[in-house]
Amino acid sequence: MSSPDPLAREGAGESPTIPLLKLVNVWKRFGDGPSQVTAVSNVDLQIQPGEFITLIGPSGCGKSTLFNMIGGLLPADDDGSILMNGEPQKDGELLGKVSFMPQRDLLFPWRNVVDNAILALEIEGVSKKEAREKALAMLPDFGLKGFEKHYPHQLSGGMRQRVALMRTFLFERDLILLDEPFGALDALTRAMMQRWLLDIWQRYKRTVLFITHDLDEAIFLGDKVVVMSARPGTIKLQETIDLPRPREASVVTSEAFISVKRRLLEAVEEESMKTFGSDDPAS
Amino acid sequence: MRPQPGSPWRAVALPLGTILGMAVAWEVVARGADISAHIFPPLSVVLAEGWRVGPTLARSVLRTFIETGLGFILGAAFGILCGVAFALVRPLERALFPLFVVSQTIPVVAFGALVIIWFGNTILSKVVIAFYLTFFPVTVNTHSGMLAVDPQKIELMRAFGASASQIFWKLRFPAALPTIAVALRLGVSLSLIGAIVGEWFGDTVGLGVMLIQAMYTESVPRLWALIITCGLLGASLYAVIAVIERRVVWWRTDA
Amino acid sequence: MADRRLMAKSALGAARLNLGRATALQRFLPLAVSLAVLLGTWEIVVWYFDVKVFVLPAPSAIAAEVVDRWPILQKAVLATLNEALTGFALGIAIGLLLAMVLVLTPPLEAALMPVLVAINCVPVVAYTPLALIWLGIGPASKIAMVVIAVSFVILLNTLQGLKRPEEGQINLMRSFGASRLRIMWTLRLPAAMPSLVNGMRVGIVRAMIIAIVSEMLGAYRGIGWIIFQATQQVNFLQVWAAIAVSSVASMVLYLLLVWVDRKVVWWK
Repeated sequence: MSSPDPLAREGAGESPTIPLLKLVNVWKRFGDGPSQVTAVSNVDLQIQPGEFITLIGPSGCGKSTLFNMIGGLLPADDDGSILMNGEPQKDGELLGKVSFMPQRDLLFPWRNVVDNAILALEIEGVSKKEAREKALAMLPDFGLKGFEKHYPHQLSGGMRQRVALMRTFLFERDLILLDEPFGALDALTRAMMQRWLLDIWQRYKRTVLFITHDLDEAIFLGDKVVVMSARPGTIKLQETIDLPRPREASVVTSEAFISVKRRLLEAVEEESMKTFGSDDPAS
Repeated sequence: MRPQPGSPWRAVALPLGTILGMAVAWEVVARGADISAHIFPPLSVVLAEGWRVGPTLARSVLRTFIETGLGFILGAAFGILCGVAFALVRPLERALFPLFVVSQTIPVVAFGALVIIWFGNTILSKVVIAFYLTFFPVTVNTHSGMLAVDPQKIELMRAFGASASQIFWKLRFPAALPTIAVALRLGVSLSLIGAIVGEWFGDTVGLGVMLIQAMYTESVPRLWALIITCGLLGASLYAVIAVIERRVVWWRTDA
Repeated sequence: MADRRLMAKSALGAARLNLGRATALQRFLPLAVSLAVLLGTWEIVVWYFDVKVFVLPAPSAIAAEVVDRWPILQKAVLATLNEALTGFALGIAIGLLLAMVLVLTPPLEAALMPVLVAINCVPVVAYTPLALIWLGIGPASKIAMVVIAVSFVILLNTLQGLKRPEEGQINLMRSFGASRLRIMWTLRLPAAMPSLVNGMRVGIVRAMIIAIVSEMLGAYRGIGWIIFQATQQVNFLQVWAAIAVSSVASMVLYLLLVWVDRKVVWWK
């Protein structure tokens, strides 16, 4: 896990390091014939090691489909390819290479906090003893100290999300995919979790790809914001966020933040209107 | 610590109290009202009769218990295996599952006579009947329990690179356990019924045998004693299953 | 017709679950095939190994016997069906009523439940001799047995179903000024339908079995009585014929209920 390359932060232009993840002309279509649906079209994206990229777009724009493809659960259509560390990945090759956190916490009700957190490690083959030790060491960072023996139904929504996040971080992979992890939380908890996530990210030095529907969240968290269009989902624009790190809570009202937001808002609204207004879902 | 279920003593005290109350009421009503002892004997008479045939009763309970237990365990094991097989191998399910359903509408207890011919007038024939009655609900529930697993959880495990075997043992099977447990509770009652009816077709020892004998001699107090005994046996079996369930499957099904 | 957005999002899920309304033919074809294969194999095995009739008769022999003895079998199966269905209907009525009463009066439920559980612990068949002594050998005793068996299943299932609505929904109705009775009628009963129908499916099969078993201990007529008599007379072909007829009858009843299930609980 390398530290962010300073050159990569400059924005446009080829960077000298090999991107951790590279999507080239990625498409995804479902079904065929007249009822075919194109969920993702012509996506080109590069993610450098150590970056925190946020992805924003209207509902149904294919963000989750894209994630499923990066996670190896869905193969990309033949037109394009996904490369990890420069190597093109065949169907299913990405399974187990990326640490994936879907929207729901998906905790197993019969496992306590620690055992839920070590699920991925168990699958990997790490001994339970060793895995549990690692998890216990991480508990304080995730605000779960003292809760190791608790079961999901005894935890609040925010705590369950943190267990799921712990599970995601324990699975030691370079790339982490977070699909709207804070979507179900109330605004106050969400703000705290965002700051806490940035802290964890800098501490553990992973590369993060983060989906959100909240523009403030996208700008606050990311090194780069990628705006996706309405279906068929493609990348409408990418904007590097030059705000200094570590990001303080007050940054959301700063001039720099607001001007970035102004630029992006227009793009995001435009795509949202497409989904909301005229689009006829019936076929 | 695992979440504590309600204190077991409290769960027992209230029903116990009600049952004692019922017992007293029985005694009073039977003695007070002018009902023939032939129809509704007082509890004390019933208990006395039960005490009188104590040794035989004990032997019968043991015999019926063994038949029930064996039939249940075999039926449950077979049922779980079948349920898993049907859930994992879809073509198998399509081919055999309908037959399973049909087999349950056959009043198997009526088979008793034939089962005796095939398996002799031994414990085995009762075990077979108990087995037959148990495995179907267990199969159905195992099957539906395994199919009801949250597909997103399966995807999550796949994303972590889990093999099919890991997905089965760490997710599918545990997730199906609560549903299986429901079937097991039902199965143990059915096994008992199967054992008793099996004994009706010809046997020398057993609660079913004693029931028939009491019927032919029209000894109502003995019948009531037997009913109570059967109830106690049924309740104990059910309780054992419930306790095991509490320890192994204490979580409620997936939200 | 499908919503495209939903399709794209859940393509994965849908492909896995393979839901869809199969036609009646698709539903019954696998069953018919399996049955045909089973009966065919059975017939061949009996013929090839020259299995004795009293061990395992061939399906053809059983069918012949059924045709031969049809008048007797028909009367018997109708008598048994009569007992089973009467008991079934009464059992539903009692079970449903009791469940509603218990839900409307929680103190009663707390007091009565242990009693009901205790009675339920006794395997139903243990009550048969008592029923025969009290009510004689006629159909009344059989109907009583069926009522006991069915009402319990219905009671327990319906109770669970009536209690299903969440507190939120109940409070919503209370905020609209609904009385307990109104809540029962408008919210609880519809919510309990799936459980009730489930109980009915289990109950109908039990009804037939209990009726037959009760007849075996003593009756004037009925399939169970035929089976018992045939066993006494060591006429096993007749036993098989009676079993075949009762199985078909049970299956018809069960299918009827599956149909009711689909019609009544269409929103499942």
